[in-house]
Amino acid sequence: MKKFWRKFKANSSGQLLIVAALAIAILISSTTFYVYELSKKTNSADAPSISDLVLALKQSTINAMISSIANVSNGGGKTMLTTNLNGLSQVLRSLYNIGICHLAFTPLNDSNYDSGVWLSWNTSGMGVSSVHANFTLNVYGVTTKVSASYAINVTTAIAINGSYTTLEGGEKLVNLTFNMYNEGEPALAKNMTLLYENLGNWTLVDASNNLCIVDYGNGTCLISFEVNIPSDFVQVSVHVHDLRDIFVQANTTCYET
Amino acid sequence: MKSKNKGQIRIIEAFLAVLIIFSSFAISANLTVTQKATRHDDLASVGLQALVKLDSDGSLGKYVDDGNWTALRDALNIVLPAGVSFNLTVYDDQMHQVNTAAVSNGGFSSQQIVFVEYVCASRGLVFRCYIMHLYLAVAA
Repeated sequence: MKKFWRKFKANSSGQLLIVAALAIAILISSTTFYVYELSKKTNSADAPSISDLVLALKQSTINAMISSIANVSNGGGKTMLTTNLNGLSQVLRSLYNIGICHLAFTPLNDSNYDSGVWLSWNTSGMGVSSVHANFTLNVYGVTTKVSASYAINVTTAIAINGSYTTLEGGEKLVNLTFNMYNEGEPALAKNMTLLYENLGNWTLVDASNNLCIVDYGNGTCLISFEVNIPSDFVQVSVHVHDLRDIFVQANTTCYET
Repeated sequence: MKSKNKGQIRIIEAFLAVLIIFSSFAISANLTVTQKATRHDDLASVGLQALVKLDSDGSLGKYVDDGNWTALRDALNIVLPAGVSFNLTVYDDQMHQVNTAAVSNGGFSSQQIVFVEYVCASRGLVFRCYIMHLYLAVAA
């Protein structure tokens, strides 16, 4: 028996060496693979690059919409939205790093929106400047194809309401509450112009009218000024640019309280 | 004959054992290289996110509209992580270079440079579209 083991040991010492080396190799490989799998899971959670790309392209469309409504509300033609979005779509098609990128859009047409543009500057104390369009983005990469549909609405709205009290000298002290919104959220105004109607003429409200504006910094302002007009109501018009240069105006009639 | 070849077979066996261990090292090294490539993609994602962040309030387009390259460089320095080198080139929609000064925080010392392409639409009254080429590298 002893002789057999000695003989076996002598004959198979080389094979044992290979088996041991194989075991060590498997250990090294499995450890490395395990560590690699763990780190790969973390990385895949951190880098959703294709979704980043869609977000980046969406941001560009938002900016194009803002630029369009800023232009239209400041006197530009309503076709500016389509022109600008066509320009953006053309630039996206010329990109070579992303892949073939196709942006299709449909400006909204309904009771309010005409070719994606809604300007409502009426006398009810509300003013709206808005654009709305639906987009379909297709990105054809070498290995991937991404398709995303989304709608973008850019709206600047103001609301004014107020009344007046007659002072001892006969002047009318007008008190207004002004609110501004961007996409329904309170927003700040960049500049504001106030006018009142006097015998059919719109007159600018300035320091001579004891103009006082209290800005609460949350989209709400309290405005007061004095006017000396014969009518028993005061027509007020507020013209505002928001921080994105979108213009909006609203008119209201103030009665005595 | 058998006893004469015994030594040579041992050498071959030992050689095979060494080969097996080294092949495992080679596989492991390949996995590490793949992982580096993933980190490469991460840097591109960081660059893209930095540009989107600057563009979200319209400041990216405004810097370019105003030709304020110093402010653009400073803004990128703030939004990008420390230790990342960058070089930004801005083109108009006809691919003519717009930036008249370098928008960079120094030379690239790394061999691995990441390229990010971004379309920036400005929010100004006059609509302009810029194509931005951002090169990024991790400082060695």
